[in-house]
Amino acid sequence: MTDQDKDTPTGDDTTDFGFSRVKRDQKVNMVRGVFDSVAARYDLMNDLMSAGIHRLWKRFTIELSAVRPGQVVVDIAGGTGDIAERFSRIVGPDGQVVLADINAAMLGVGRDRLIDRGALGNIDLVQCDAQALPFPDNSVDCITIAFGLRNVTDKDAALRSMERVLKPGGRLLVLEFSKPTNPLLEQAYDTYSFRILPFMGRVVANDADSYRYLAESIRKHPDQDTLLGMMEDAGFVDCQYHNMTGGIVAVHRGIKA
Amino acid sequence: MNQTHDPAALSGLLAGLEAAINRALALAPAASRELGDLGNVVLAIECTAPEVTVFIRVAPQGTLQLMGYCEDKATTRVRGTLEDFIALAMSDDPAATLINSELEIVGNTAPLVAIQQIVTRMDVDWEAPLVEKLGDVAGHQLAEAMRATFAWGSNAVTSLRRQLSEYILEEGRLSPPKAELEHFFEQVQAVGHRVDRLQSRIERLKRRLDKAGV
Repeated sequence: MTDQDKDTPTGDDTTDFGFSRVKRDQKVNMVRGVFDSVAARYDLMNDLMSAGIHRLWKRFTIELSAVRPGQVVVDIAGGTGDIAERFSRIVGPDGQVVLADINAAMLGVGRDRLIDRGALGNIDLVQCDAQALPFPDNSVDCITIAFGLRNVTDKDAALRSMERVLKPGGRLLVLEFSKPTNPLLEQAYDTYSFRILPFMGRVVANDADSYRYLAESIRKHPDQDTLLGMMEDAGFVDCQYHNMTGGIVAVHRGIKA
Repeated sequence: MNQTHDPAALSGLLAGLEAAINRALALAPAASRELGDLGNVVLAIECTAPEVTVFIRVAPQGTLQLMGYCEDKATTRVRGTLEDFIALAMSDDPAATLINSELEIVGNTAPLVAIQQIVTRMDVDWEAPLVEKLGDVAGHQLAEAMRATFAWGSNAVTSLRRQLSEYILEEGRLSPPKAELEHFFEQVQAVGHRVDRLQSRIERLKRRLDKAGV
């Protein structure tokens, strides 16, 4: 078992929480604590941390989704609703978008944002666990999960759950931090993640620990090829990924057979 | 995965371009309406060197959506090198350049011509955002000043081009005039045709002599 497979069951009942090992049933509450803490300033911090590039990563992910008017889309770990808002305009009044998140504080911020921007009528908000999605089998055209999978305790279970609810031919898009392809970029990225990011978290959100967890959880997340294999194991076909910004982020796409 | 470019970099470029184009279209309601009337059109601009494809979707509300990835069937696909596209963009007569260049067009060309005509006729009301920000008097005066500057700049460029051309042709005698050059090419072509005809005639005579056993 590789270092990056530690989130999968190991026989003991512990899992990663950043660089620490915690009881599997505790991780949900600890992740919830992190996101409760950062929810109010999540969008601002995303813009600051990525210099606004997260909008471009999401823009490309939405293009890859090839979602059409009238379709049903679920955005898991959708948090503050920026992706759901875009999908809401694409699917139109005949389609449906579900903004799903395990964290009530993030959903609250998302709901307020969607109302403020007039994205109403075809969006539902659901508080749920990605490992056990509360949707019928074969009912969804497209699922996206952006910067959320690394926080899930059992990623394999989550991918299987997504595969279950997708319609045959439906597609899953996983946008997540990954492994830089250039060693020099990786070094610079490490310095940024472990020195600058917690500092920014302390200054802007008054919460260095949460942002340290975010950096650590990125390092513990499976790299591009490992995640590709996990998606294939969950039953997805035609799986592929696109590296963005030198592999700092990758978007994986899989189709339900 | 083999990638020739970073999708995020292309997305950034396209997002900026899309925002600028749609901002300009918002200030040119006639052009925006005409674009909206075209229906659901998807143009694929396929650059072979460097290898990158950009899709332009015309939305019914008269805006443009620029994408690096699109699964919709392209109404028109234009393929060529970056040099070909730059030549097309810089051309005074885009239709002629499109026909005479190495650009390959697949699909329905009507929307492409229609969009080109809409862009040519596009009359952007640059004064509107200035008036909105600065008020009627200051906005109008600034717009007038900008118009005068642009007109001066445009005249200066035209004048410079004319003078440069005159210098190259008349003063420096560095290049023959266009008409002389075209006449020379016509003569070369005519000589080529005559030589071809002479060659055919010689071959025909040769065959006749062979038949006669001479």
